[in-house]
Amino acid sequence: MKTLSVLFAIMAGTSFAQTKGTAVPRTAEGKPNFSGTYEWPKALSGEQCRCSATIFDRKLFAPLKPGGEPFYEPPTGDPRHDEPRDFCMPAGFPSGMLSANAMQFFQTKDYLIIVHEFQRMTRVIPLDGRKHREDIEPSFYGDPVGHWEGDTLVIETTNFKRWGLDDYFYTNPKEYRMHSDALKTIERISWKNPKTLSYNLTIDDPKTFTAAWSQPFEIAAKPEWEAAGLYEYVCEENNRCPGGKCQGK
Amino acid sequence: MQKIFLLSLVLAALPALQAHHSFAAEFDTAKPVKMTGVVTKVEWQNPHIWFYIDVKGSDGAVTNWGFSGGAPGQLMRRGITKKVIQEGMTITVEGFRSKDGSNNANGARVTFPDGSSVFTAGAEDRAPGDGKGK
Repeated sequence: MKTLSVLFAIMAGTSFAQTKGTAVPRTAEGKPNFSGTYEWPKALSGEQCRCSATIFDRKLFAPLKPGGEPFYEPPTGDPRHDEPRDFCMPAGFPSGMLSANAMQFFQTKDYLIIVHEFQRMTRVIPLDGRKHREDIEPSFYGDPVGHWEGDTLVIETTNFKRWGLDDYFYTNPKEYRMHSDALKTIERISWKNPKTLSYNLTIDDPKTFTAAWSQPFEIAAKPEWEAAGLYEYVCEENNRCPGGKCQGK
Repeated sequence: MQKIFLLSLVLAALPALQAHHSFAAEFDTAKPVKMTGVVTKVEWQNPHIWFYIDVKGSDGAVTNWGFSGGAPGQLMRRGITKKVIQEGMTITVEGFRSKDGSNNANGARVTFPDGSSVFTAGAEDRAPGDGKGK
């Protein structure tokens, strides 16, 4: 709790610091300040998902490399495979980040913390120059580190499990998109204007694609959501019909 | 009730983009349901709200049905609070039956006796006949 108190005290002192001549909020160190409440990333191109999430635009994909075909994995009929989130398994990154829920950014000199309402996804992104951790198990959300390139925050995330890339299968149930365990993502975040973040996401999956590819998104600031804040999301609380088999009443 | 009516107008104009990712896994789009009954219980909990109604059949027998909606946080951010559906209300619910054939369904559209309605679920939890989803 003490750590949290310190975190909030630091944020309170930096959230509204401004650089003269620009409306972009900045921290006491002069870095763009992303602390605030936002919508989920919205794609600037591609089809709308028949689901509750933003999806990637296939026109931006690099060609598959030989052996990369497992990217398009068909459903198996086993709900634990076809929709593991139905059993409260994590969405992972980037899929969870693209879910249509509110999210809140907390920024200090050394960390950006992204809390997403869906599954209460929490990403703790060090900004202190450290390198990726070594010898840890691959994970659903990977191992992120961030650094500044001018006014753009660049987040590189590695060490993923093989997992679903996005929710496209709700639009075409025959087509799952599974990234490999070689995935590396690069997010580039900057203020486009005082109400909007530019969010560019690069998918670098050398087991799957012949080259890295990127998709631009925008993230709308939602200061009007600050008062209510994020709501709790505990999937296990009352998950009554996992896999279509309802329990209790 | 007027508030609910206005809310339904707002919701009708919004793209439906909410809810837990489970519709396809849990509910059968080939089995639309529409039934009217009295609300017996509301569970305003994650990952989906559930509400239950007693439905009287043509033979007079009463069956309790459960309906799943969106996540509480998503609904609240859309202006729908747990006050919208309360025990004792008579409502009509449209949705799709659960895959296991039990007396459970997604509850996509709730219509009140005055004709006003709310869309209580999300995109993949679409209501029968609204053309959304696959």
